[in-house]
Amino acid sequence: MSQTGNPATAQSPQSSARKFVAPAYYPNGNPNAPLNPPGARNTDSCLPPDKAGEVVHNYACDGPAPGDIAFHWIHGSVCAATNRDPRIQVLAYNEDTYILRENPCIHWEAPFTYLLFGNTGALLIDTGATPEAAYYPLRTTVDAIIRRWCSIRHKKSIPLTIVLTSGEDIAQSQGLGQFAGRPGTTLAPTQLAEIKTFHKLADWPNATGSIDLGGRVIDVIPTPGAHKDGITFYDRYNCFLHTGDLLYPGRIQIGNDRDYVASLSRLQQWGESHPVKWIMGGHIEMMFAPGRAYPRFKNYRPFEHVLELEPSVLGEALAHATAIVGRPEVVFSTDFILLNRVGPDERNYRTSPDLPFIPIPIWLP
Amino acid sequence: MNRRTFLAFPLASAALPSVSAASALLAHLPSAEASPSGGSAELDFTANLPAHGSFPERWICGSSSCMDNQDPPIQVHWYNEHTAFLRQNKAYNYEAPFMHLYFGNRRILFIDQGYTQLRSEWPLRDVVDKCIAEWCGRNGRKVDEMELLLSFSHLHDDHYAGINQFYDRPNTRYMGLTHEEMIGFWGMTNYPEERVTLDLGGREILIWGSPGHVMSEFAYYDTYTQILFTGDMFYRGRCYISFWEPWFASMKRLMAFLETHPVTHVVGCHIEISSTGEDYPYGVTYQPDEAPWQLTVAELRHAYEIATTIKEPGIYFTGSVFLCNQTRGTTTVDKNPYAYE
Repeated sequence: MSQTGNPATAQSPQSSARKFVAPAYYPNGNPNAPLNPPGARNTDSCLPPDKAGEVVHNYACDGPAPGDIAFHWIHGSVCAATNRDPRIQVLAYNEDTYILRENPCIHWEAPFTYLLFGNTGALLIDTGATPEAAYYPLRTTVDAIIRRWCSIRHKKSIPLTIVLTSGEDIAQSQGLGQFAGRPGTTLAPTQLAEIKTFHKLADWPNATGSIDLGGRVIDVIPTPGAHKDGITFYDRYNCFLHTGDLLYPGRIQIGNDRDYVASLSRLQQWGESHPVKWIMGGHIEMMFAPGRAYPRFKNYRPFEHVLELEPSVLGEALAHATAIVGRPEVVFSTDFILLNRVGPDERNYRTSPDLPFIPIPIWLP
Repeated sequence: MNRRTFLAFPLASAALPSVSAASALLAHLPSAEASPSGGSAELDFTANLPAHGSFPERWICGSSSCMDNQDPPIQVHWYNEHTAFLRQNKAYNYEAPFMHLYFGNRRILFIDQGYTQLRSEWPLRDVVDKCIAEWCGRNGRKVDEMELLLSFSHLHDDHYAGINQFYDRPNTRYMGLTHEEMIGFWGMTNYPEERVTLDLGGREILIWGSPGHVMSEFAYYDTYTQILFTGDMFYRGRCYISFWEPWFASMKRLMAFLETHPVTHVVGCHIEISSTGEDYPYGVTYQPDEAPWQLTVAELRHAYEIATTIKEPGIYFTGSVFLCNQTRGTTTVDKNPYAYE
C-alpha cells in the first residue's frame, strides 16, 4: 500500500504567498466522479480469441481519448558508459498511442518519438537522433509494437507512414534510414519543397493538411519558426499537439522570430476551435525547478520536467515571443526558455530572478 | 610537526610505516633482489635530467554513443617508469580531466581526482591502487611503505570529485576543499608568490600559486621530467580567465620560472581543441580528432605575448589555446544552426 493519501487534506489550500493551488489529488480514485464517463471507449482488446475478422476500433470521441503517462522517463545516468537502461523506452499512452524515448546515454538529445495507430494506418512522428540500428534500434522496436498491435486487432499488417516535425532537424531525422525498404512503408521527405508536396501544403504556411489513419485523423499544421520546415501534428483522438522543437519543455531555439510568433498564433487559433489536452514536444531539457534547464550535451538529467505541457503554455510562449521579436534575448518561463537570436549556450544554467529559486545539486555528477 | 617538515622530511611523518622500511631505506641497498628485508635501492631522480618519456599518439576520447563505449573508464599512460598520467574517459564524464601520478622513493603524489564521485560508477581508487602496486612491484617496494598524497590543481569539482574514494586507504593524506586547507596542505604562508618544494624522496616537486581561472589554484613542476603542470589556468582549450589581473600575474610568474628552470612540456587539465584548431563545444562527449594534450614552452610564451596586448574582455585565440577573458564559461562557437531569414 503506497497510495493512501487523504483527499481531504490533499486539497487544503497552499500558502497564499505562493499563489499556487494544487490540483485535486485522488491517489485512490475520486468516489464522486462518474464511473462510466461518456469519453470511455471499448478498446476491443479482450475479445474472445476465436472471433473472426479484423477488429475495427471506433476512434470517435468527445474530448481527449483516455490515456496517461504514469511512469518515469529514463534520464541517463552518472556515467553514460555504465548505463543499463533500455536503448529505447516504450510507453503505451493508450492502446493506440505509443511514446518512445531515446536513451540520453546514446544521444544527449534524448528525443521522443510517437507511434499512432488507426484502423487502416500507423503513423510514426519523428525518428530519433542516432542512425545506427545497433545503438538505437528504432526499426526493430517499432516493428515489435506494430506486430503486437496487429495481433490484438486481428490484422496481418498495417501500412506505416513516417513523418517528421522537421526535415532538417538532425535530432529527429536520423532513424529514417532504418526504415528504407521496409514493406508497406511511406517515408516523408526531408526537403521543404518536397515536404510541402507530400502533405499537400501548397499555400505554406497557411494551409493545413491531414493524414487519415482510418477513423483517426491527424491534422498537419505548418509551424516554421524553430525550423524553417517545422510542422505540428494535431491528433484528434488524443487531442495532442505534436510540436517537435517549436514548443517543448526546454531551451527552445527560435530560428526566425517572425515565423515563430506567426506559428504560435496559428496554433493558438487552432486551439480555439479544437480541444487540446497536452502539447507534446520532441525533448525535455527543463528541470522541475521553475525556469531552469539542462544545457546541451548533458546525458544525466535526474531532475527533468515532465514531457507534457498544458495548453495554457501556448499563450504564454506567444506573449513572450511577441515581446522579443527582433531582439537578441533569452526569456525564462516556468516550463520553457526561449532563445532568440543568440547561441544555444547563452545563459546556460540561469533563470529569471522573477521565478522562485529552488536549490538543486546540479553540478557534481 | 609543522607543514615545512611535512614537505621536506617524509620519514618524520606521523604515518611512518615501519622501522624495517626506514632502515632499508637508510641502508641504500643496491637492488630489490639483494635485499633480505624486501627494501630496495634508492632511485636517483637527479641524474640524466630531464627524464625522458612519451605521450600517447591518441588519448581515449569518448564515442558517438557513450552507452556503447568499450574503452576503460580511466586511461593509464606511463610517461616513463616513474610517472603516470591518467585520463577520465569522456563516455564517463564530458570533462575528461587528466590526472598525474608522480613516484618518489618515499611518497607518491596524485594530482587531481576526476569528475565522478562514486567508486561503483568510476573505479578511480582501484586504478590508482593498481598503478601503485605495479610500480612497487617493478621497483621492489612495499605498497604500505609508500605514502600517497592526494592534491588537486584547483578548487573545482571536476578535479576533486573522486577524492573520497580514498577515505579508507592506509598511509594516505588528502587536501581539504577550502582555500585555507589547500595552502595549508603545502605549508604556504605567502600564496601565490611562495614556491614550496615537495620532496617525494629524492624527487622534488615545486609548487606555487597560479590564480586567475579560480583564486585557489597551483602550478606544479616536476624536477625529474621537467614537466610544468598549469591546471585549468593554462591548457589546450578554453582558459576561462575569471580574474584578469591575478591570471596575468600568474602568467608573469610562469615566464619568470621559465628563465630559471628548464621545461620539457606544459600540460593542463583538459583537451578541448581539435587537431585543426576547432573548438569542441562545452559538454561534448566525443572528440574524435583531438589535438595533443601537451603544449610547448614556445606556445606558452606566445600566449603570454598575446596576453600582454589584451586590454578588454573577450576571446583571444593564440593558435593553441583560447584565452577567454571574463567571458561566459562555455564554448567559443555557439550558433543556432537552424537560424534563417
